Parts: sequence; C-alpha cells; structure tokens
Amino acid sequence: MNTKQEPQRFVIPIGPQHPALKEPGNFQFTVDGEIVTKAIVRLGYAHRGIEKAAEERTWIQDLYLIERVCGICSHIHALAYCLAVEQLAHVEAPPRAQAIRVLVAELERIHSHFLWMGVSGHEAGFDTFFMYSWRDRERVMNILEKLTGNRVNYSANVLGGVKFDLDQEQIASIRGGIDFLEERTRHYLDVVATDFMFLQRTRGIGVMSRAQAEIMGAVGPTARASNVARDVRKDAPYAAYKEYPVDIILDERGDLEARFEVRLKELFESFHLIRKILDTLPGGELTARMPRKVPAGEAVMRVEAPRGELLYFIRSNGSDKPERLKIRTPTICNLTSVVKLAIGHQLADVPMILAGIDPCFSCNDRSVQIRTSNDPDGRMLSWDELRQHGIDFYKRLEK
Amino acid sequence: MRIGVMFPDVSGALMRHSATEKYPFQRQGVTARLRSLLKWNPEACTGCGLCAMDCPAEAIQVNVLDRKAKRFVFAYQVDRCAFCGQCVESCRQGALEMANDRWELAALNKEPFMLYFGDPDDIKTVLAAEPAGEAGIPADK
Repeated sequence: MNTKQEPQRFVIPIGPQHPALKEPGNFQFTVDGEIVTKAIVRLGYAHRGIEKAAEERTWIQDLYLIERVCGICSHIHALAYCLAVEQLAHVEAPPRAQAIRVLVAELERIHSHFLWMGVSGHEAGFDTFFMYSWRDRERVMNILEKLTGNRVNYSANVLGGVKFDLDQEQIASIRGGIDFLEERTRHYLDVVATDFMFLQRTRGIGVMSRAQAEIMGAVGPTARASNVARDVRKDAPYAAYKEYPVDIILDERGDLEARFEVRLKELFESFHLIRKILDTLPGGELTARMPRKVPAGEAVMRVEAPRGELLYFIRSNGSDKPERLKIRTPTICNLTSVVKLAIGHQLADVPMILAGIDPCFSCNDRSVQIRTSNDPDGRMLSWDELRQHGIDFYKRLEK
Repeated sequence: MRIGVMFPDVSGALMRHSATEKYPFQRQGVTARLRSLLKWNPEACTGCGLCAMDCPAEAIQVNVLDRKAKRFVFAYQVDRCAFCGQCVESCRQGALEMANDRWELAALNKEPFMLYFGDPDDIKTVLAAEPAGEAGIPADK
C-alpha cells in the first residue's frame, strides 16, 4: 500500500484494485492515528459506456445488454427496462408473466443477499460464515438454473412477457429449496445476532440515524436499517407486487448489525412471497404482442433491486432504437453514506462499513469524474469545460 | 452473546464429501432448460431474417439465395453467441431450437465456432462471396 505523508495529516489510499471488494473503486482516507478524519471516494474505473451502447441497438437487443449491467441483479435490470418499454408502448404483460417475473426477482434477491452476507462475513474475517453461506447459496442458484437455464443472466424476460413457464416438477423443487433456505436463514440470523466475535465487528459500527439516511438519500436495506420506510415494492408496486404485497422490514439501530438483520429478515418476506406466488399462480398467456417500434415519449421506471431503488429513464423518438437511456443504480445513492459514516471510525472498520451498503461499483459507473492534481476534492465541469478539458488533454499528449 | 455459534456447521461438514465434480471423468449432466448450441430447421425457415435482426450479439446471418426454392444459408458464429435464446423467441415458424445437448464447446482453434447450415453448394457460393479470412468450415462437412 502506498502511503503519503503531509503536514498534519496522513492519507491512505485504498484501491482502485480490490478495495475490500473485487471491484474497482478508489478511496482516500485521511487518518489521525487509527481514526478516519476524512474520506474521499473516486469512481469511474469500470465505466463501460452501456448507456451510449444502448442507443446504437434495437429495443430487443438492448434487453440483453441491460441484463449485463450487473452480474448479481441481472433480472431486476432487465425487468425495469422491460416495464419502462412496455409503459411507453402501452403494452401490459399478462398476469402469469408478471407473477413469474416477481418470482425470479425474489429468487434473485435471496441469491444476492446470501452473496452479500458471505462477502461481509469475509470482510469481518469470519470466513467460516462466508463459506457456509455460499455453500447454501448454491441451492438458490440451482433453482434459478433449473427455472431459467442459467445461473446468472437468466434471460427470463422478453419485451411483453417472459420466456418460460413453470411446471409441477419445478414448483416442487422451488418449494423444497425454499424450505431448506428458510431453515438456513434462521440459523444465519442467529449467528449474526448472537456470535460474540462477529458482534464486535458490527454492533455500533457505522451508525446512521434516520435523519442522516434521509438527507444522504440512502435506499434499500441500508435505509430500512435506519428506520426509513422506503421500499419501491410497497411505495409504487410494479409487475405483480400489487397482487403479492410485501411487508417492509425496519430497524431503528442503523448500525451494521441492523443491516444484517434487516437483509436476513427480508429473506423471510421473499420466502413467504415465493410460496404465495406458487400457490396462486394465475393462468393464461406468457407474452403480450409487442410492437417493434416504440411510440415517441419518455418513461421512468423504479424497481426495488436487492440493493435498493433502481431507476430507469428511457426516451423514445418513435424508432426501433431508444434515443436515450439513463440508469441510476442503488449503490450510487448509498455510497455517500460510506464516506460520511467512515469518519470517526477506526480504519479497520472501513471495509465492513463499505461492505455494509452492498456496493456494486461496475453497475454504478455511469460517469467519469475529472480531477486535477491541485484540486484533490474534484470539481464539477460544465459541458463546454469538459470539451475544452478533452482538447487540452490530447494537445498535451501530442507535445 | 455466544462464542462459536457456527461450530456445529464446521463439525458437521467434516463428514461430508467434497462437492467438486471430477470433470471430465464425471459428468453430472445439465439442466433441461440450459440453452446450448442453436439448431436450425431448414424445412420450417422462411428466410425472414428476424433472428438475425434481433440477435444482440450479431451471431446470426441468414443468406437468402432463392426464397421460393428455400435456398438459404444459415451462418451461425458460436463464439459470438450469448445463448440468450432471443432468436428462438423471435422465430415465428419455430425453425430454431436451443436444446441442452451440445454445451461442451471448447476447442483449440476457431474453426468449430463458425457454422454454416444449408446445401453444400449454396454454402460454397456464399463463402466465395464473403471476404477472405472470414471463412470457416461448413457444419455438414
């Protein structure tokens, strides 16, 4: 690790390679002894230009590009995109398709929360927790594979519906898997709530009050662990969430322990919801007819990804390609809280605080921040300034 | 607060076998819905080209030599394919199928990744018209 000593302060850079998680992001922590006094985050290392690429492809081709924004929550991205495009085209997917979409979304939430649980355990140095939770996560991965054919990037959605149906054998295998996972989740909830060593790393660490969560715009389980009742599934039900409502899990404590408990208790809601869908799966068609050209207009779609609110904005000019597509992932909303909450904590707690929001850097890299050496805190550039910056940059390179 | 809450997990796992599959000596098989190599049915195809139009990876090319006589050459670039199954969804004639039987696709060279389906003479015609360096080996040869 490179270290840089300056008068009165000591800056420790963490990342961009592997900053606690296996994704690129750069953090600079100013420390006073072991205590963090200032934190700066820098993103943009995994910028893939997906929004621009989406403008070059047709509505159908974009679906598979969008699914690859995130490897963990691929279905929810595709679902948000499908719902937004269907909204623009005034098409509504049949009830059975909507129920299957919700079913896959909830299975994905289970897989995502189990994955996060293991990674956070690893960050805390609790590798036993990491390995056993990931072993159990295989069960939900197998269910998803059996259901859709793939472990990740399920390709469950098509514009106007879903690709596959459920048969009795699959319903039985999902039920069996859910029973097993419910029992294991109960066990892991016991572990995170009672294990002495683990509680040393989570209890009272990274406490975010309700007011702070609201000011910083936290979303998803991170906000709900600070008693902010914010869940898109409840606030603005999409797909089949109107027919299959969920309860919001809240916690007042706002620390890492609360975030663990909120996420794990959310899993019980998911299990309950999945059983309810399997019991009362509506009949009928799987797809509705979708036009190839989408009428001109704008659509905004919000969905609840495992990490929090995911927002899609789509503008169509009436052609077979989107004119503009904007994605805002939950990580970008929650990242501010990491920078704020790290202050006052020991440096060793920072990886846990970072992992506590369940970050996904590659998903959120939608823009590049330009920084100069004499202005380490970064600055905002207008479009003209950015253009001029680019011209100057390449002129300097030529010299 | 307790100590060693996960100890029963660890001691219980001591008696379990390794989960790692000894591939290729042992094959557990694949799930029924796995999407593997695309199959094309020349009898059903009308050469409309919707599959090629909707393919997000641009892995499909439908060359129509004579639509009435059903002379088509279906070019399929396996290494581009994302196995999403959109072509199968888009095909109104049911001429495409992604079964779960051909999924061991690793090869030492690029030739098996460029497949041409159709009449051998038609394939030759299409290959002759293509720029050099792009040609692969016809599937049925």
